[in-house]
Amino acid sequence: MDPKQRNLLSMAGVLVIAALAWWQFWPPGERITQGLDIQGGLSVILTAVETPETAVTDDVMNRAELIVRNRVDRLGASEVMIQRQGADSILVQLPGIANAQEALDALGSTGQLEIRDVVSTDPTTGEVVLGDVLLTGDVITDATVGTNPQTNEIEVNVTFDSEGAAAWAEITGARIGKQIAIVLDGNVESAPVVRDRITGGQTSITGNFTPEEARRLKTVLETGALPVSLEFSESRVVGPTLGQDSLRKGVFAALAGLGLVALYLAAYYRGFGVASWFALGLFASLFLGILSLLSNLGWFALSLPGIAGIVLTIGLAADSEILMIERFKEEVRGGKTYRSAARHGTRHAIGTSLDADLVTFVSALMLYTFAIGPVRGFALTLMIGLAIDILNMVFWSRSVIITLAETVVPKAPWLFGVKGGEADA
Amino acid sequence: MLKREIDFLGNHRLFLIFSLTLVVIAIGSLAIRGLTFGIEFRGGTVINISEAEGISIDEVRSVFSEAGAIGVVVQSTEGGGYIVRTTESDADVANEIYREVFETLGLSTDVGEVSTIGPGWGRNITRAALLALSVSVAAILLYIAVRYEYKMSIVAVFTLVHDVLIVLGVYALVGREVTPNTIAALLTIMGYSLYDTIVVFHRIRENSMGLTRSTFTVMANHSLNQVIVRSLNTSITSIVPPLMLLLFGGETLGDFAFALVIGIILGAYSSIGVATPLYTAWKEREPKFRALAKRFGTA
Repeated sequence: MDPKQRNLLSMAGVLVIAALAWWQFWPPGERITQGLDIQGGLSVILTAVETPETAVTDDVMNRAELIVRNRVDRLGASEVMIQRQGADSILVQLPGIANAQEALDALGSTGQLEIRDVVSTDPTTGEVVLGDVLLTGDVITDATVGTNPQTNEIEVNVTFDSEGAAAWAEITGARIGKQIAIVLDGNVESAPVVRDRITGGQTSITGNFTPEEARRLKTVLETGALPVSLEFSESRVVGPTLGQDSLRKGVFAALAGLGLVALYLAAYYRGFGVASWFALGLFASLFLGILSLLSNLGWFALSLPGIAGIVLTIGLAADSEILMIERFKEEVRGGKTYRSAARHGTRHAIGTSLDADLVTFVSALMLYTFAIGPVRGFALTLMIGLAIDILNMVFWSRSVIITLAETVVPKAPWLFGVKGGEADA
Repeated sequence: MLKREIDFLGNHRLFLIFSLTLVVIAIGSLAIRGLTFGIEFRGGTVINISEAEGISIDEVRSVFSEAGAIGVVVQSTEGGGYIVRTTESDADVANEIYREVFETLGLSTDVGEVSTIGPGWGRNITRAALLALSVSVAAILLYIAVRYEYKMSIVAVFTLVHDVLIVLGVYALVGREVTPNTIAALLTIMGYSLYDTIVVFHRIRENSMGLTRSTFTVMANHSLNQVIVRSLNTSITSIVPPLMLLLFGGETLGDFAFALVIGIILGAYSSIGVATPLYTAWKEREPKFRALAKRFGTA
């Protein structure tokens, strides 16, 4: 395939992808998930506080996460996001502010595991009415998932400390054939029937568990003895009107920035400047396309810091265009033909841009890796923008400049701010 | 057609004095005034009231005090609202105060925002920031050393320390709050400060290959002249979007933009006024280039 065809193919490819991007992100208001600082809602970071006896381990954090999930589930809120952040923190995000106070109250409570009497069970819904508290979770030392060797049923094995073992023997002895309930933070997690009096501090709970259910119950039982407390590190409640107002300001600033940059490029670089509008337009389209794709997958929500990252990359995308155009003009001044100036110049300019982009990328990646909280959104959009910039440069802008240099530039050099280079050898 | 070249490197003393002055002012204001850290580092609460028509600042202050808020500082914003800071670091309590205040003022919480940071959080944030900062610097050092040479990478890092120090000095001088957003912007500035420097270095390396007809200094100055237009243009196009953000973006976005705008200006300056003169001076000490300097006279 000759270079001319390759360039046309590369441009056509970018255009097709851009068209797909439009189809993907339009209308952007619906297709790109808005972060809580924009749509309004509650965002909380809970941090596990270490005690002298216990370190915050991964296992402890898994249990902590389950407790948090449990507490939030009880609020009946939809679209809740719960995510581990860093080594010892959990991010909880709830859209809407209607039950913000309630959510904060729930998240601020301490995890409480109880074993309680069951007074009665609704035969249709399976809902149980709870009686007295028989035992609290702090007597449980361990819980494991296993398979009963005789029945092949999945079971959860619980170990009590000595105090718990004695109490457990008494409780089970008095309730053979009756139901008891395992309750976490007031939620009934499981309501098994006692089969026998259990001594020795070891007990098994069976109940047609799927492996998943069994693991969940195991974690619930372990949380009874969660040795760390969860504290609010960061809490943010944003009203929807204020959030939308911030979004409008951010979008306005981004568009104004894009518009002014485009005008400047056209004023300074004339023909190439106008050509770079297409590059900037493609950059914006691909950016929005990727953001909406990631939103679709549930991996992205646009926050205000994210907008800052996008705005910054607009400038970086324009920079790449400038580097290429300048280098082309310089090669022409140096006596090269338009064609070889375009080929040689764009290749060199891409090398320079790549170095500069990669260095910024490294900083953004470090920020994304180490930072906790909203600034990660900034790092993420910055990285996405840099990646698109590089692809756009290699597959679109380079081909455009070379194609222009081979077709229109020799006919109207004044339009592109170049002199000389007429003789195309 | 050879245009007249600007003798940047001949004026390196001027740049040196200028940079030194800026650095001394920066260190001075950091030492005397110090940095004001945002609640993210200290713990506390920030409440944003975006619409507060007909409510006076005194009214806001007294309503907060009545609601039991402690250490209240009220500041009015351009959009006709208020930003209120208190030292409350318990999220539950802060939210109760927030609701009460909005109810008393007859406002909907739709137009408000409340952020509370716990007392221990600052340590976490600071640790993460320092880690990101130092790993970034190390990675950049390594990248440039591998891609170019170690002298360039040391000069580049020195230059960005110069830039970051001056930006922090500006923060101390104008008393602007340092928030995690500021740190993020600083990290980006580091990348950005290198952008211009790399453009120049890239060109110097290209021109220095097989250099036999002039001294290193003359060649470096020529390189600067070759890239000056693009450096100015890229600085203009990169500063415009953050500038728009600073002017129209509101509180959070302005936070990023302020550091970015100053950083980009400094990055453009320091690639010419700091990085290139330092690198040139260092390279001139190499035997190869010393020989050239002998032949063509010191520039």
